[in-house]
Amino acid sequence: MTPPVLSAVAVTKSYQLGKREIPVLRGVDLAIAAGERVALLGASGAGKSTLLHVLGLLDTPSSGEIRYDGAPVQDRSVRERARLRHRHTGFVFQFYHLIPELTALQNVQLARMMGLSVLGYLGQRRRVRDEAAEWLGKVGLQDRLHHRPSELSGGERQRVAIARALITEPRVLLADEPTGNLDSATAQGVVDLLFAIQQERSLALLLVTHDEQLARRCDRLVRMQDGRVVASEPAGGTPAGAEA
Amino acid sequence: MIAASAPFLALRYLLTRRINLLSLFGVLFAVWATLVVDAVFSGFVFEIRNDVRRATPDLLVTDLPAGSDFEPIRAAIASTAGDDVVAIAPRLRHQGLVQPLRSPRFAGRAAMASELDFDAMEGGFALLLGIDPELEPAVVDLPAWLARGDASLAARGIATENSPVLTETDAERRRNWLLPDDVEWRARERTGLPAPARAADHQSQWPGVLLGWRRYGYQRHVRLGDPMELLTAVQADDGTIQARQSRLAFAGYFSTGYKLIDATSVLLPIERLRTLLGHDLADPDSVALVTDVAVRWRAGLSPAAAARRTAQILAAVQAALGPAAAPCTTLDWEQQNQVYLTAIAHEHRMMQVVLFVVMLVAVFVIYATLRMMVVQKWKDIGIVAAIGGSPQQIGLVFLLCGAVVGSLGALLGVAAGLFTATNLNPLNDWLYAQFQLELFPRALFDLPRIPVHIDPDWVVLVAGGALLLALLVSWLPARAAARMNPVQAISYE
Repeated sequence: MTPPVLSAVAVTKSYQLGKREIPVLRGVDLAIAAGERVALLGASGAGKSTLLHVLGLLDTPSSGEIRYDGAPVQDRSVRERARLRHRHTGFVFQFYHLIPELTALQNVQLARMMGLSVLGYLGQRRRVRDEAAEWLGKVGLQDRLHHRPSELSGGERQRVAIARALITEPRVLLADEPTGNLDSATAQGVVDLLFAIQQERSLALLLVTHDEQLARRCDRLVRMQDGRVVASEPAGGTPAGAEA
Repeated sequence: MIAASAPFLALRYLLTRRINLLSLFGVLFAVWATLVVDAVFSGFVFEIRNDVRRATPDLLVTDLPAGSDFEPIRAAIASTAGDDVVAIAPRLRHQGLVQPLRSPRFAGRAAMASELDFDAMEGGFALLLGIDPELEPAVVDLPAWLARGDASLAARGIATENSPVLTETDAERRRNWLLPDDVEWRARERTGLPAPARAADHQSQWPGVLLGWRRYGYQRHVRLGDPMELLTAVQADDGTIQARQSRLAFAGYFSTGYKLIDATSVLLPIERLRTLLGHDLADPDSVALVTDVAVRWRAGLSPAAAARRTAQILAAVQAALGPAAAPCTTLDWEQQNQVYLTAIAHEHRMMQVVLFVVMLVAVFVIYATLRMMVVQKWKDIGIVAAIGGSPQQIGLVFLLCGAVVGSLGALLGVAAGLFTATNLNPLNDWLYAQFQLELFPRALFDLPRIPVHIDPDWVVLVAGGALLLALLVSWLPARAAARMNPVQAISYE
């Protein structure tokens, strides 16, 4: 049986606040299969974003295991975790988080360059540029390649962020309230795009959201409360494979 | 492996943040100033050392006991050093007053020709250095001293007559630096001293004396051949102090370039000074009195070989002086001027330390700029981490910013510094012509050109040091960036 592409086993995470220890995750178990679309719901402070960061190896769990394709990765070196994050995972954030000095094209290119040496990049400079332009084309920004983030709308910025997350061809997409900062019409467009690409590339998608309606479009709903997964149920919406 | 993203991002940061230009100019200016100031200072030091070298024999055997005879010392040196010594010359030091003979023709002056002018006592005191006119030119460059003396005065608009004493063909006259008969005859005429009716009937009698050119200010009336009055004192055999007086002829100005010598010394034939000190040259038992012996090494003698020979010479001279003699000393040219040269070297080092501090201030600007950038780019650091950047890659972005600013600043600073240093004289001339502004007043330093000496080692040290310091100060903000928590950075807008 193929192991889940991403899983958390009894993961805890607590922060030290002075002499007090604040538990944020209290033994979370979660597994996401390739091509599965999972919505993570919960009130503010439930631990959704922390779980996302721990799963994406941006943060380390206090205990428990994070497994990529069944292999525990939480104890790997900082450099190795960065490499895994680059190859395995793509992030999309609520606030886009683009680098303001770079154009849309350069923001996307940067993610690709992260895994290339200077000499390696010089050898395939044009290819990297074309790939970045192609991804921006896929998200509908072929005419905005050389615009800086400050010259783009919120929806456009999020599309750049999606292109940046996908250019490294990750197997998992971690999206932290990707529509939380967008108006409903724009949000609809961004989500449609995100889901279409997820489906096309059979990505595992973990979507943190407060939007119950959006969550219903996923395969599975995972509800969190006080750092625990309190429910994991089929979403009852359109199955990922049936959307087109 | 250096990820391509690090230089890519560093370059974008540098190009989009103009404050980095401030750091760049800071390093550029510091390197430029360090090179130019040091090049000029080194030029001065180089000139000073050359001047001192010209004024100083290779080796001086000194601290000889009173009444030492030259001949046994010369023989000891010659037999010990063999071919390594090419010239040995005696020297006799004494002190005295040297003044132009006051002419009765000078208006308002008393007519007593030999009266000393105590009003001008300061300029009259001199270090008398008796030298052998035949042997001394072999240990120091006497003709060059005379040429330089004329040049130093000519640079101040004072015309002088070339001294003929070194080019005199008659050995006996040359030994006493006697001036041509007609020159001395005309001097007698000028000063109202007894002289035959025709120059052809006159024979020069006064031994010549050469004055350091910096004595010119006190002796401005003197012309070639003019009589000079020398007054000194010696201790007689019975212990009493006796005044001795001698008449000499002004034979020219010399310049070693070494201010201390040029301002205080007069040169006269050693035999005249010996006579003045009471030695009867006609007496077969009379010794060829010396206080020092100057030695010249053969060209190309290594410092190590010279040091070995010096030790052998010292032992041989000491043996020649006898067991009862007080210990004498040998000094190479640097030791003869040790305090002066050490002071200059120390001053040079101090100036380099000050320049290093300027460099530190410049690189501190890099630190401040990068530290500010790290704080401002906090969110970017989180983004780079989220797309797979390791802490090392994140730190490298800021380290590269510092390295580019440091190396570019050092490179441009070196180019600007070398250009300025090599064109300093034309630049100084241009500034003076355009704005009457003189960066380095040459007259103040008694030099025809601003001396510039570019030391390649110093250039490499400054450029390398600037780059190293830039990297060092960049490392601190880079480390801070690498240690930042990316989660906090991306959790908020």
